[in-house]
Amino acid sequence: MAAEALLEVRNLSVCFDTGDGPVYAVNGLDLEVRRGEVLGMVGESGSGKSQSWLAVMGLLAKNGRAEGSARLGGEEILNLPQRALRRLRGDRMAMIFQDPMTAMNPFLTVGRQMTEVLECHRGLSRREARARCVAALESVHIGDAARRLSMYPHEFSGGMRQRVMIATALLTEPQLLICDEPTTALDVTVQAQILALLDELRQRYRTAIVLITHDLGVIAQLADRVTVMYAGRQVEQAEVHTLYGAYRHPYTEGLLRSVPRLDQPRSERLATIPGRPPDLARRPAGCPFEPRCAYVTEICRQRMPPLVSLGDAHLRACHYDGALGRAEIGA
Amino acid sequence: MSEPALLEVRDLDVHFPVRRPGLLRSPLTLRAVDQVSFDVRPGEVLGVVGESGCGKSTLSRALLRLIPVTAGSVRLRGVELTTLEKAALRPLRRSMQMIFQDPLASLDPRMTVGEIIAEPLKALLPRMDRAERQQRVLRMMQQVGLLPAQINRYPHEFSGGQAQRIGIARALVVAPELVVCDEPVSALDVSIKSQVINLLLDLRAEHGLTYIFVAHDLATVRHIADRVMVLYMGRVMEITDRDALYARPLHPYTRLLLSAVPIPDPTLARQRRAAPAREELPSPLALPSGCAFRTRCPLADARCVAERPILREIDGRYVACHHAEAAGA
Ligand SMILES: Nc1ncnc2c1ncn2[C@@H]1O[C@H](COP(=O)(O)OP(=O)(O)O)[C@@H](O)[C@H]1O
Ligand code: SF4
Ligand code: SF4
Ligand SMILES: [Mg+2]
Repeated sequence: MAAEALLEVRNLSVCFDTGDGPVYAVNGLDLEVRRGEVLGMVGESGSGKSQSWLAVMGLLAKNGRAEGSARLGGEEILNLPQRALRRLRGDRMAMIFQDPMTAMNPFLTVGRQMTEVLECHRGLSRREARARCVAALESVHIGDAARRLSMYPHEFSGGMRQRVMIATALLTEPQLLICDEPTTALDVTVQAQILALLDELRQRYRTAIVLITHDLGVIAQLADRVTVMYAGRQVEQAEVHTLYGAYRHPYTEGLLRSVPRLDQPRSERLATIPGRPPDLARRPAGCPFEPRCAYVTEICRQRMPPLVSLGDAHLRACHYDGALGRAEIGA
Repeated sequence: MSEPALLEVRDLDVHFPVRRPGLLRSPLTLRAVDQVSFDVRPGEVLGVVGESGCGKSTLSRALLRLIPVTAGSVRLRGVELTTLEKAALRPLRRSMQMIFQDPLASLDPRMTVGEIIAEPLKALLPRMDRAERQQRVLRMMQQVGLLPAQINRYPHEFSGGQAQRIGIARALVVAPELVVCDEPVSALDVSIKSQVINLLLDLRAEHGLTYIFVAHDLATVRHIADRVMVLYMGRVMEITDRDALYARPLHPYTRLLLSAVPIPDPTLARQRRAAPAREELPSPLALPSGCAFRTRCPLADARCVAERPILREIDGRYVACHHAEAAGA
């Protein structure tokens, strides 16, 4: 675990101004991403996964503000001027999304969109850029690459479009690749291909990957370390085997136990987490998971549990110290 | 096996004409559902799985006559549905209802929860008086876990999981026998998904319902289904009892699907991560000759190119594969 941090995020908060007042989508995020590792971030929708990384990328919506710090290779990048951010995004970090169509221009050929990246950022000639694009498509296992460059996004399947997005992201050889639910819209068969591809690229180029997903199965396959988000906060973080085998947060327990899974005997009822995530516009004094937690005590309602180390790079935010195992079956 | 089937589907075809550019070119035919036959037994949950584009939603909609059937037969308790006149569809709608994937998109945003749930009652049981209708709506809301106080709220005020409860209430309020659930939990978060699955199982027990449960997630289907039908490119690949299917899938496509389901255990997941599927789906407008799966099948041989496999019985399961015995070995 001596690998150096490529990105250090410290006390990052994201706040949106809305008609109902300020909404804190992310509160005090603290983590680092190391060279060549896959950091998984898991949580349900609205837990702040996307906004955390959009903030790092400088891509928040107009009514959003980021506070705190994010250092890439030691250099502060949070809230840099747009020009500097654009250069960083083309060069040292890239982000891909669940639906590649939203990031593509439907009226431009795939080749045009890809070569543009290189002509802008690297000042390559059209011909050089084209050759690089062909190589990039080949590296993500798209056959017949030269011909595909003249096709339009809608002529590709969902899985192929995601490969094109990954190839485009890799053109500038970024040190950090942020993947936001990259396989959520895909079939499991195609998902397996894309995950294998990300794994291969990480090994080949030592690209650090942030893998954002709501799917614990996806994280288990690829991540080295995992952060669990709930209501805009990190509630647990650990090395992947620790998180799945020796989790210490009630929410992590609830998530892991409510997933139907093929590797275990079928149970009559699924475990559930009762209730639903809180409204972020209300900021509770205590633990945000308190209304749904089976281990709640008085202090949980009064004081926000801080994220503390349990040793071995295992962090969690919870007041409860006893044994877990009480997750609700079947509500 | 002795009880008569609730729903019998035989050689069902749903074709769509697809125009090609060029005036004189004749349109191509997209066979979204191709020679599909199966039974649904009273009280069971039949899971339907397959990748997107394999015809799951088209089949669901065709069963309810929401889209036209090209050929074949669908019989509910022996009554042929494909030839029914529009006017005669009303009793069918009472017996068969549908729950959709995207809960918010499938609810009319201008109607209150009460109006949404009451609507099928108004349409299908027009003689029911207001008071009774209101009673039924409230009882249904309670059964799906909605509060009476929410009756005058609008769909956008609800989260995805709550909205799906409204969709379920709307489907069940007319007391149907058969409910076709098209990916009802796919859009929901993990913790909410398990709540809704448990709810569907409770309602089935309480009301003696029969479900056709369409999903692309094989782990969820294993949880809820008694039998599973696997579709590929509009064709049935395998129909098998749940435990047999998950323990020993006979069709190569079933095996492919199962091998791709992510396992939330890092040790197992990494052991398995070796061999993801080759190739993607073929174009539905240019299916391979013979077996539709042969372009992705590790067992494909000359016979698979030449001859379309029929659905045949092997050890009490139905499999459409020339080499099913080898695949299951
Ligand atoms: N432009 C915006 N204005 C107000 N709230 C927003 C805006 N963008 C996102 N949010 C809110 O931020 C919260 C966290 O969202 P997000 O990071 O997208 O969650 P996740 O990626 O975990 O699903 C959500 O409650 C979302 O509604
Ligand atoms: S702090 Fe209290 S309420 Fe929050 S997760 Fe821990 S035990 Fe549950
Ligand atoms: S019939 Fe042939 S190609 Fe089709 S699934 Fe069986 S072995 Fe594979
Ligand atoms: Mg997101």
